[in-house]
Amino acid sequence: MTTTIVLQQAINGVVFGSLYVLVALGLTLIYGVLVQINFAHADFVTLGAFAAYFFMHLLGAGYFLSIGVAFLVGAALGWLINASIFTPLRLKGNELLPLIATIGVSVMMQNLMLTWFGPIPYAFETEYSSQVIRFAGIFVSWQNIIIIAVSSVTIALLYAFMKFTFLGKALRAVSQDRETAGLMGINPNYLIMLTFVIASALAGMAGAMLAPVLVLTPFAGTSVIVKAFAIVIIGGFGNVEGTILAGLIVGLIESYTTQFLDPGLIDIVVFALLLVMLVIKPTGLIAERREENV
Amino acid sequence: MSDSAISQRVGNDKMLRSRWVGYLLAALCIIALPLIFNDTYWRTNLTICAINVLLALGLDFILGYTGQLNLGHSAFYGLGAYVSTLLIVKLGIPFWAAFVAGVAFAGLAGMFLSLFAVRLRGHYLAIASLGFAVIIYQILLNWISLTQGPLGIYGISPPPGIVVGGTVIADFRNLTAFFYLVSGFTLLVYLLLDQLVRSPVGETLTAIREDEVSAASLGINGAVWKVFAFGLGAAVAGAAGCFYASFVGTLVPDAFYVSEAFTILAMVIVGGMGTLIGPVFGAILLTLLPEILRGIGDLRLVVYGAALTFVVLFMPGGLVQAARMIHEKLRPGGRRP
Repeated sequence: MTTTIVLQQAINGVVFGSLYVLVALGLTLIYGVLVQINFAHADFVTLGAFAAYFFMHLLGAGYFLSIGVAFLVGAALGWLINASIFTPLRLKGNELLPLIATIGVSVMMQNLMLTWFGPIPYAFETEYSSQVIRFAGIFVSWQNIIIIAVSSVTIALLYAFMKFTFLGKALRAVSQDRETAGLMGINPNYLIMLTFVIASALAGMAGAMLAPVLVLTPFAGTSVIVKAFAIVIIGGFGNVEGTILAGLIVGLIESYTTQFLDPGLIDIVVFALLLVMLVIKPTGLIAERREENV
Repeated sequence: MSDSAISQRVGNDKMLRSRWVGYLLAALCIIALPLIFNDTYWRTNLTICAINVLLALGLDFILGYTGQLNLGHSAFYGLGAYVSTLLIVKLGIPFWAAFVAGVAFAGLAGMFLSLFAVRLRGHYLAIASLGFAVIIYQILLNWISLTQGPLGIYGISPPPGIVVGGTVIADFRNLTAFFYLVSGFTLLVYLLLDQLVRSPVGETLTAIREDEVSAASLGINGAVWKVFAFGLGAAVAGAAGCFYASFVGTLVPDAFYVSEAFTILAMVIVGGMGTLIGPVFGAILLTLLPEILRGIGDLRLVVYGAALTFVVLFMPGGLVQAARMIHEKLRPGGRRP
């Protein structure tokens, strides 16, 4: 009996964990190339979710197509925030100003969505939500299988892109040393733009997959982003492997806390872990050597 | 003593005098305001303004003077409010003792958080402080046996009146008296912070903000000063929390949600961080603006967000920078080299 519960919660943990990884990877990619945080990343998740919802429920499109739409909406938002906030502020050279500006964007977006869509949660039902398969006493909905499959494939593709393609290598070069990469004929501005587009597209598609398993409100992204921030720090800022590992750990912590302790304790447990990590190992689970300019 | 030293000294005296004139004017304004705005609605707004000014001053001291991006100011505000109220309600401790305890608790919490994050660069502190605010909010919400969670604590009484020789001098059930209490305290905090940032301590803090490594080479222990500044700013937020609880009479965790921290941040940025006068006007503007634009309803926070973004993009010095630019334009002979 208990084994079943443990297994059932493990699956739930992996479902949420893989979505957190998608959101956190975007943050970590941006931090890698720019050493900046986009606070409005959360609202890209929410807007992606709403885009998928309306595309599906108003136009009657299929779920997979809706995920694609959320991906595109996220990509467009990523391009926009880079062009409007990060590019102009890069010249000013203050490391905290862009973060503060995107907090403003986030507050704006959330409250605009609140006036447009209202505070009442939307029921985002897909054709896969009610189809459940039973295996050794464990229930898994097709929705959950799709979430795990789509995010695994996406993460694998991203990983392959970073490791094996020229652009991916260039991207890693820029995150290691922007000036030297520039001297090697890599255009950092283009790559920064590309990073924002990819990162935000991941956030948008994560939104389209989160909304059916979570409640869809204008604040849906916020509850995810606080965990994504914790994941990014636990995994080590700018570290892809660490982020994947930390994301799955946080997903599992969440589902086991819900099962064995109290759902109200989730954020407390996750952030207590974050504070402990900051004390013991601020470089994250998988440490990466980083030169610091003085 | 050389001529230039004398003239500098005279200049300092002049500046000192004009500063005290400024304090006097501020005190006169505080006395006059509730007499001009004599209805309950505006007097309530005035007190809320004074509480927000206090919050903005505390955050500005942390962010503007030591460059630590604290995204969890709402936590210290909430801690001050809940600690003082629970001491009064559960243990029957007198108001002012509970006030001191609330302020001290918030200050110690700030120092504790800063100790965690002091080794880390700006972004780590931003996220750790945000996480801290989330934790405090969840504790207030979920520790129902202590805080009554979302149901809230009701019927919190205002501070006891001041009675001298049988006559009541100040009765804080009266809105005007309460406003005088909070704004008088705020003016006192401003005065103390103003003296502090002009003292060698202020120069030390600025040196750390501008370049911690160079400051260390001059023998300045950056970590100690950052923890001190964080604790002091958090303690000021705690004081604001104590006043808020006894003013509103009701405490619910939602008043100290993370978005409150962003609101305070907007006040500091719009006013002009790194100056003390800026956040005062930022707080007043952003508290009153939504009241003046009554019709906008839910768009109130959209205004906050837009103000935050556009000020950072186009006028990072906030209202203070705007005032300086206007001053330069109006001065006869135009811009001086």
